[in-house]
Amino acid sequence: MKALLISDQEYLTKTYQGLNDLTGKFLREKGFETELMELSAANLTFCMGCFGCWIKKPGECVINDRMAQINRSVMNSDLVIYLSPIIFGQFSPTFKNIIDRGLPNMLPFFETRPDGSTMHPPRYDTYPSQIIIGYGDEISDEDKQLFIDVTEKHRRNIEVLIYQEPTENTIKALNKMKLGRVGGRL
Amino acid sequence: MKNVVLITASPKINEQSVSKEFLEMAGDQINSDLFSKSFIDVRKSFLTHKLTEDFETLAKADVMIISFPLYYFCMPGMLTRFLVDYHNYCTTSGNVKKPVKVYAIVNCGFPEPEINLEAVRVIKSFSQHLNAEFRFGVLIGGGPMMIAAKEAPFMKKTVHKTTEIAMNILNCLSLTLLPVITPIIRPKYVHGKSFLILLHSAWR
Repeated sequence: MKALLISDQEYLTKTYQGLNDLTGKFLREKGFETELMELSAANLTFCMGCFGCWIKKPGECVINDRMAQINRSVMNSDLVIYLSPIIFGQFSPTFKNIIDRGLPNMLPFFETRPDGSTMHPPRYDTYPSQIIIGYGDEISDEDKQLFIDVTEKHRRNIEVLIYQEPTENTIKALNKMKLGRVGGRL
Repeated sequence: MKNVVLITASPKINEQSVSKEFLEMAGDQINSDLFSKSFIDVRKSFLTHKLTEDFETLAKADVMIISFPLYYFCMPGMLTRFLVDYHNYCTTSGNVKKPVKVYAIVNCGFPEPEINLEAVRVIKSFSQHLNAEFRFGVLIGGGPMMIAAKEAPFMKKTVHKTTEIAMNILNCLSLTLLPVITPIIRPKYVHGKSFLILLHSAWR
């Protein structure tokens, strides 16, 4: 089983180190072969909203930079854990950029979900389990809740949790999650 | 004279920007005799390396109106970078004139305007970190289709509502005690065949 850990070079704080150590140990104990990918803003261009990943090169971003490799690594893993700083209650700029540029993994159509909301359907039959763990220092409760809502209210195929004291709770939460490939849910 | 800075943050390059159109609708309501207004295009700011110059403009603002498209249920990474860098600029330079009022206009391609709410909450959080006063956000569903069909008779009511909200923003510029509201714009055309036709015309 292959796990991909993704982090942001811009925010390698002491809190991040604690989270990275904890997650790495957890994955080793679960028997995962783990790859750590530290992102840098320097080699990632912003999404330009061209929809080329749907129209010109379906399934691939038309921008030729590191994102192609990131998308391939994500889709070829069984589990992806994003270690994301919490900035203004959402992701860091670099993390938000790679989330935006994950659009090739979806189809352009609109489908109605069971709750009546609209979503793009999945391009593939299965995806890796995806877990976002937010971290930071002196994060307000409002920002923590917002960080959870940004994902949980809209994306049913991704788990999200906050890394905070007591840190054992992070492991408890991870132990309850599915850690392998899953069907693409709307 | 109050200083209004209008910020458009569509990541598109050399393409029609829906966010810019909505921002211009708001900007058109601003009386230049009473307010000084300037525009910042975040995409151009990055492309032409004039971030510092634009941050200096922002630092003098009494009002910021930020218009952007919803990307993955939140703001685009490009705008996130711009706001984080601006926050860092303010923290390090101390070059911020006074408390600023912040408004957001968020539009999405999906028909449900409510899904823009978390993006507006992020702008609220940004405002709090900046010690700015967040006022309200406008949530717009089916934005690209609304712009594509803005001249159509059935769209008049929706476009009129958008203009009314722009006027509300202007009222708030001079009055600080108005209730904070979250206007929602839900175009009424997003059903069946007409929706598909509009979707197609919006993407041309």
